[in-house]
Formats: sequence, structure tokens, C-alpha cells
Amino acid sequence: MNVLLLGLSHKTAPVEVREQLAFDESSSGSLASALTERPGISEAMVLSTCNRVEFLVQSNSDYDAADAVQAFLNGKSTITETTPFFYRYLNRDAVSHLFRVASSLDSMVIGEPQILGQIKSAYIAAKEAGAIKGQLGVIVSNALRTARKVRNETGIGQLTVSTSYIAVELARKIFGDLRGLSVLLVGAGKMSELSAKHLQQSGVSHVYITNRTYERAIEMAKSFEGKAVPFDQFLRVLQQVDIVISSTGSSEFILTKETASGVITARRNRPLFLVDIAVPRDIDPEINTIDNIFVYDIDDLQQVADANLHERRRHAELAESIVQEEVAKMMHRIETDEVAPTIVSMQSALDDIRRHEITRHRSKLGELTPEQEQTIEAITRGIVNKIAHPPIVEMKKMAGNSDSLHFVEFVKRAFNLKK
Amino acid sequence: MEISSTSWLHVALLFYSLGLWHALATVIQRKQQMFKTVVLSFFLGAAAHLVSIVDQTITVGKIPVSTLHQMASLIGFLITCFFLLFYWRYKYESLAVFVFPTVFLLTLVGSLAAPVTAWKGHSLMSWWLPLHVVLFLLGFAALFLTSCSGMMYIIQENELKSKRPRTFYYRLPPLGTLDDISYYSLAVGFALCTLALITGSVWAFVEWGANWVVDPTIALSFLTWLIYLGMIFGRLAIGWRGRKAAYLSILGFCSAALTWITNSGVHSFMQR
Repeated sequence: MNVLLLGLSHKTAPVEVREQLAFDESSSGSLASALTERPGISEAMVLSTCNRVEFLVQSNSDYDAADAVQAFLNGKSTITETTPFFYRYLNRDAVSHLFRVASSLDSMVIGEPQILGQIKSAYIAAKEAGAIKGQLGVIVSNALRTARKVRNETGIGQLTVSTSYIAVELARKIFGDLRGLSVLLVGAGKMSELSAKHLQQSGVSHVYITNRTYERAIEMAKSFEGKAVPFDQFLRVLQQVDIVISSTGSSEFILTKETASGVITARRNRPLFLVDIAVPRDIDPEINTIDNIFVYDIDDLQQVADANLHERRRHAELAESIVQEEVAKMMHRIETDEVAPTIVSMQSALDDIRRHEITRHRSKLGELTPEQEQTIEAITRGIVNKIAHPPIVEMKKMAGNSDSLHFVEFVKRAFNLKK
Repeated sequence: MEISSTSWLHVALLFYSLGLWHALATVIQRKQQMFKTVVLSFFLGAAAHLVSIVDQTITVGKIPVSTLHQMASLIGFLITCFFLLFYWRYKYESLAVFVFPTVFLLTLVGSLAAPVTAWKGHSLMSWWLPLHVVLFLLGFAALFLTSCSGMMYIIQENELKSKRPRTFYYRLPPLGTLDDISYYSLAVGFALCTLALITGSVWAFVEWGANWVVDPTIALSFLTWLIYLGMIFGRLAIGWRGRKAAYLSILGFCSAALTWITNSGVHSFMQR
């Protein structure tokens, strides 16, 4: 194998550099096929996201692929000196890096799910453009498989880190199943609307909207297919709904502890989840001390997000070991694919010679005892095996290296092996 | 042939048993069905009960409160009257879950006063006690599940209230799920334990006559049963749930465990 990965990411290059080099996702296929037209490059894939630009190439070892890619890049961008921002990985390191990136272990936000899709589309684009046709395809599809395995076997992708989605996660922790529940939006705001949308997607079936300006509530109700409620009836609705997202511009609490304890009694203690994303706050934080009511303000949501990120890092350790295990498997497979057929055909060619020579001279030896027959077999086999041993060991040793294919080719020629 | 007061009590018990069945069905399905029919049956039961008490009063010449059995029967009757009155006036149905089993059990105790000779057949006797034990063990297992999910509820609730998620927040199931498990296992456990209590009482009565009722371990069984009945009533009628219900489930289980420890092996009257 002779795989090179050349790239830069949020870890090595500032955004000013990344934006210069970022490619449009739709051009990734044509870029990859343009790369394969360069001398020495047989396969290529180009990955470009807002946080990274990476080139994965399979090359003929007679050429320096890195130079080829650099030359290619110089023709595309205005930045002259990009070398210090680039990392380059060869063979095993390249495979390992790709597997880690796909599994979202190298992401800015560890465990974010988009990268898997981005690699997948880069792979499909390169394949359709004819830039991936051999070993590189096997490597990339295994990277995708590993990423899915990591996602299934660790909790790395399950915990959300975006505050607008945290409300959904908490609601799940409180109610279990969100189907059939209802949410009340008090006031308007980008984030409260976003959270409500997430809740709706997660199964919450009724959306009530209230606003000091009733017209605004009606307008919003349309976009949620919900029900507008006049602001003065807000307390009555509070007895029915399960989740409240509040974001009014009020300078005082719109829900006091006294009112809240009345509400929970009227609800016969059915749990109530209050999300207060207004600043200044709408809901008295003391309400959280009442049984079966859970109050989260914007800082609390952030706190959960931070804890989730911390938890993700713990999952990342497990993910890391899965990735390394898969990399080892991949390398073993590549190595076997590269040298095993040659080893087998060399052994059988040598054995053919041995047998042929025995049949040719056997008649001259006359009658032999079974022990003598066995001795002839043993001697000839010994000679053949001893001759084959050094090149086999050498091939195995070189497997996975950049020069391995060269050496394999040499062995084939030296022993006159077909194919 | 003259019908004795005990026979009337048995008739009442038969009518009340419909109430017991109804209460257990309500607890498990979480909704009431055929409530009017059951109330009617309960009313008839109360009538038979009244006949029995009047009959006894005439025979003895005073209100029958001299033995524990008579007292249980009388209290059962009074509760029935109050309930029917309450229901007639306020239509407060959810009280039934509490009242039906209590009245049934009290009347059962009352009817198990007059000694009978022995088991009618040997085969009945050979499976009766194992049935009691199996029912109780199954009920005990279900109630154990209730207290386990109660404990997990308390921990998870604490995580959510503290707003600083730690390990348990990620590992434990959601509160809603825990509360559901808690309730269903409580309902099933309660139903099984009620049946175990009935089979046990009948067994003890047949084997040892009227004395069984004062056995302290049996009294403890009844107390445990009452705690669970209270929990179910609180849950269905007043909406006791969440943390308080979780603490209660742990308390209830401690009491159940105590009952089990004292009752395993033989009851004290058995050794006599």
C-alpha cells in the first residue's frame, strides 16, 4: 500500500487559512478525479468541511504524492505558504487518522454526527467520478463501518451538547416517553421556537402558544399547528401542559412559587417541566424545590450541556480503543491482501518444480523401501522450503509499507510467477 | 333449617368479593369498570351483613363486640355503611379502591370465628399451603421491584433537581419510566399479596381455629397489607407520586421484609 493523507483541520490551521482552502462539497468528486490525473496518483478522495480539508490518495511509490497534491493545491488557491498548517500521514497512520475522523473523535465537538455523512458523500462523489476503484475504497468503507460501530457501541453520539436540544433530553429524562405530551410556549424567541420544534419532532403532540400580544401568538400557532391562548388564561393552561418554555421580556417573575404549588396540586402531582430561557428570568427558581416540578434556566441548560460534553469525552476513550482495534484489523487485511496471493503462488510454483524433478529422475533409482521414498520427499521439501523462507519473511515484513508492492513485484519476476 | 349468623356473613362475603375483585382490577388496569354493578353488589352484601349482626345480637343478647372476630365484622359493616353513604352523597368513587378490599378482609376475619372440623379432603390441604406461599413469594418479588425502582427514582430525581448531571443521570432510566414500573409492580404485588393473605387466613383458621387472629406476625402481615393499600389509594385518589411515593415504597418493603422474616418457618401458633 502507498496511502497518503494530507490535510489541515481546526487543530492545525486558523479559520483564515481553512476558508481559503475549503472547497464546495459538490466539487469534491471532480477534484478527486483531477488529482488522479496527476502522475503517480492512482486513487483519490477529497473531504472538505468547515473544520477540515483533507486529501486521501493512493499513489505509485515512484512519485512523491505529497508533492503532487501540493502542486495541485498551489494551482487552486492563493495561499502560497500552506505547508506549516498541513499534517501528513502515511499508510497505517493515514488509516488511523481517517478512522478517527469518521468516528468524530477528531471533531471540534467530539461525537458530532455530521462528519460521518460528509465522509460518506465525499466517498460516493469520488467513486462516481472514478477516482476510487481499489484499495482506497476498501479503506474508506471500513472507516464508515467503524464510525457506525463506534456510534452503536458507545454513547458518544447520544448526548446532546446544543442547548436548544437539551430541553428535549431533559424532558425525556423526566417523562420517559414524550408521545402524547403537550408544551406551552410563553413569549417568542428563536431558541424557544427551536426547542419547541425539537420537542415536536420527538413526539410531543400538542403545542400551546401564549403571548402578551395575542395576534403574535396566533401567528406563531400557525407555524406549529398549535393553539393560541390569551395571556390572561396562561395559568389555566398550565394545569394541562407538561412542558413550559418561557421567554418573555418581563422584568418580573411571571410564575411565582405560590402559584406554582397551587398548579401542581391541581395537577394531582403530574410532573411539570419548566424551561426558562428568558433573561431576566420569568420563573422563580425557588419553584424547583416543589416536588414534581423541575425548573431549568438558561445557565442550567448550559450546565447540562457541559456535563454531556464531559460524559462524551469519557465515551471517547472507549471509542478510541474500538477505532484502534479496527485499524489493526484493517491493516492486517491490507497486508494479507497484498502479499498472501504471492506467497501462495510462490510456494506452489516451487513445489511444482520439486515434484516435476522427482518424477523425471525417479526411474533411475530403481526399487526403494518406503523409508527411502519418504527420505527423498523430506529432502526435496526441505530444500524448497529453505529457499522460499527468506523472501516470504521479507514480504510479510514489508506488507503495509509503501515499498511492499515493489518488492512483491520483484519476487514475482524473480520466481517467474504468473499474474 | 335455620340460617345461622355465620352463613349470612358468608353471603355478605360473597357479595363483597365482587368488590375485592373490582378493586384489584381497577388497580391493575388503572380504570374503573362496571362500578355501579359492584356498588349494588356491595349494597346487598351490607344487607346480608346487617342481618348477620342483628341475628347475632339477638342470640347473644347484646351487640357482638366481645371477640376480635366480632369486632372486625362490625367495623367492616360500619365502613361499608359510611362508604355507601359517602358515595350516595358525593359520588366519590376513588375511595372504593381503599374500601372494597378492607371490608372484604375484615368480613373474612369476622367469618372465620366459628371453628370448623377439618379439611374436607386431604388433597385440598396439600396444595393450599404451597399456594399461599407461592402467592406471597410472587407478591414479595413484585414489591421488591417497586422499592428498587423507588430507590432509583429518588436518585434520578435528585440528579434532575440538582441540575448537575453525574453518572447516575446517564445510567438510570427516566423518572416517568421508573414511576410506571413502580406503580405496576405495586399493583401486581398488592393483588398477589391480598390473595396470599386470604389463603393464609383461611388455612390458619381451618388448622387452628379462631386463635390465629391474635398472632403478632399475622397482625404484622395485615399492617403491611394496609400500608400498601394506603399507597395505592393515595396514588389513585390523591395523586401521590414521585419522591414521596418512592419513600413510601421503600418503607412498605421494609415492613414486608419484616413480615417475611417473622413469618418464614412456622407461625407461633403452629408450634403450640
